[in-house]
Amino acid sequence: MFQARNLTKRYGRLTALSDVSFSVRPGEVLGLIGPNGSGKTTLFECLGGVLPLDAGSLVRDGRPMTGRERTATLFYLPDAIVPWPAQPVRWALDFTLGFLNGRAHLRDEVVQRLDITPLLDSTIGSLSKGQRKRALLAIGLLMPQPVLLADEPFDGLDLRQSRDVAAALRSYASGGRTMILSIHQLTDAARVCDRFVLLSGGAIRGEGTLDQLSALATARGGAATSDLEEVFLALT
Amino acid sequence: MRSRKEGTAPSAVSSFSWLVAKEYRELVSSRAWWVLLLAMGPLVGVTFISAVRTYGEASGLNGTTAGVGEAFSPLIGIWAPTFSACEVAAVFLLPFVAIRLVAGDRQSGALKIEMQHPMSAFARMSAKAIVLLAGWLVASLAPLAAVALWKSYGGSVYAPELATVAFGHVLNACLTIALACAAAAVTEHPSTAAILTLSATVGTWILNFVAAVEGGIWERAAGYTPPAMVAGFQHGLIRLDVVLIASVFAMAGLALAAVWLRLGVPVRRRVRESIALGALATGVVFACAFVSPSWDTSESRTNSFPEADEAVLGRIRAPLRIEVHLAPEDPRRADLDRKAIAKLRRVMPVVQVQYISATSIGLFEQTAPHYGEIWYELGGRREMSRVTTAEGALETIYDLAGITPPIEKDEDIFRGHPLAVAPKGAAAVFYGIWPAFIVVSAFLIRRRQI
Repeated sequence: MFQARNLTKRYGRLTALSDVSFSVRPGEVLGLIGPNGSGKTTLFECLGGVLPLDAGSLVRDGRPMTGRERTATLFYLPDAIVPWPAQPVRWALDFTLGFLNGRAHLRDEVVQRLDITPLLDSTIGSLSKGQRKRALLAIGLLMPQPVLLADEPFDGLDLRQSRDVAAALRSYASGGRTMILSIHQLTDAARVCDRFVLLSGGAIRGEGTLDQLSALATARGGAATSDLEEVFLALT
Repeated sequence: MRSRKEGTAPSAVSSFSWLVAKEYRELVSSRAWWVLLLAMGPLVGVTFISAVRTYGEASGLNGTTAGVGEAFSPLIGIWAPTFSACEVAAVFLLPFVAIRLVAGDRQSGALKIEMQHPMSAFARMSAKAIVLLAGWLVASLAPLAAVALWKSYGGSVYAPELATVAFGHVLNACLTIALACAAAAVTEHPSTAAILTLSATVGTWILNFVAAVEGGIWERAAGYTPPAMVAGFQHGLIRLDVVLIASVFAMAGLALAAVWLRLGVPVRRRVRESIALGALATGVVFACAFVSPSWDTSESRTNSFPEADEAVLGRIRAPLRIEVHLAPEDPRRADLDRKAIAKLRRVMPVVQVQYISATSIGLFEQTAPHYGEIWYELGGRREMSRVTTAEGALETIYDLAGITPPIEKDEDIFRGHPLAVAPKGAAAVFYGIWPAFIVVSAFLIRRRQI
């Protein structure tokens, strides 16, 4: 679908992202996994256009994407935000659907799947972390862009909600939507993702399916395993 | 609002109207705006009640001796003090409303979602500015209530001068909104933005002080600060250069805010764009400073000579040079500037003024040779005068031009509108009904939103 090529981001002397490259395929759920401070959120903010890159670009069909193309292709759903805290969830959905020309026909379905009907009249600022996460995921799923970048989509959700959200994400991915999810809980990542990008210290340590990463870990001297946690530890 | 047909690119108008609707909701949700509305009633009440009392006493209320007719201009006696409440609110309350609206999006993370729409940052800022201005106009209902009360007392209302005062305060609010938006966009935190905005306001006060002491270019620059600008409008004077410069400053402030709201653009590029914007705005402001048309909308023609004199002065094509030997802080200089020179600049094609003094206060120059002299030069002839009134200046100019002074018609003389009334009912309106109305409205509107 597109490739990220040599993405580099520096904060003064600190290099947050160093020559990060990976590819994204249509309709897949790609998991960006890495320990805290590995640069996942920075990478998402750069991909989403809310942070400037120092170097690198997103490439599609062999040429760099313009800002407008990126905006039309990717929707970035940040983590730890409380947008429009005084407004009810119902209004936030209507506003984002109208302002960003979202998929209005999916509204009721998404609301039902993420179980946010009881929250529609509550203000966003009054929601718990998990409730807010589900409301924001609904916004993300309703947006028109073919690629959804969701930063920590399972953060704040309990086990049942995590499973439901994972099922919803998989369902929309099977319908053609591409998902790139930043996840620090590897059990969640293993449950939902088709492929993985391992990020550590601002650099890519591996990219591929669990089997491909497992083979890579073995090639680097790790024990043969199909457990994502073991693979992750071997490669980072 | 209903969403548009899916699968088509969002139209600019539709997206902009969604954004304006969103900014309206955010404004109405903001406690800062309701506090501004709440405070406007008592603020206007204090100034209006005090002004009406003073006006009434000067008109003979409670057995006092009535003053001269010229003193009874509602523009100076009622509207200038009453609307000064708007100035206080614009300086100390409105910035917080604007900062809340701009910085709130940034703090909450809403900006990160909204900026994924390809709309230009300037359009985003314009939506905020439109809603903030509308919010200010709602707050301006308080002085309008004062106008209604004044009419109910039987007071005279001269619409052009009242509109001029109101326009001046709207322009001042635009400046405040632009400044606060720029500060909120440039800084990371709302409290820093508030300090920056108030610092800019204090900076204009310092400029006014320096201008009073130093004169010269400082005096010229101080003429375009918000307090000086508002003072002009409060006297019923619309100067095109002031309107243009205030508009340029307001647009530049919004553009600066737009530059800094583009989080995805490298900081170095934003700095470069800000410098370019500053240079462009400075150039346009400099050019606007040479624009001279102005209009005196006051009923008493407080900024103009009598019509007959203006007709005669307008026919003098030779440049008039005035050499004023008075220090910047000498009250006679302020008198001369206000009563004669400002009026001459409005009617004569070329008026060149040179101020000469060795000190800023002039106190120790009184015995110096030539101090206090005002030299007029017209058509190669020079004449000295020490009079700082309009009549004195006109007499000298007519003498130099060899013109017989025109005779002012009796009906052209402004006789004033004395009104010896007490501010009946004003306290109830501004201290009781207004705050109660605002509190109830806040409760109902906010509840309806949720």
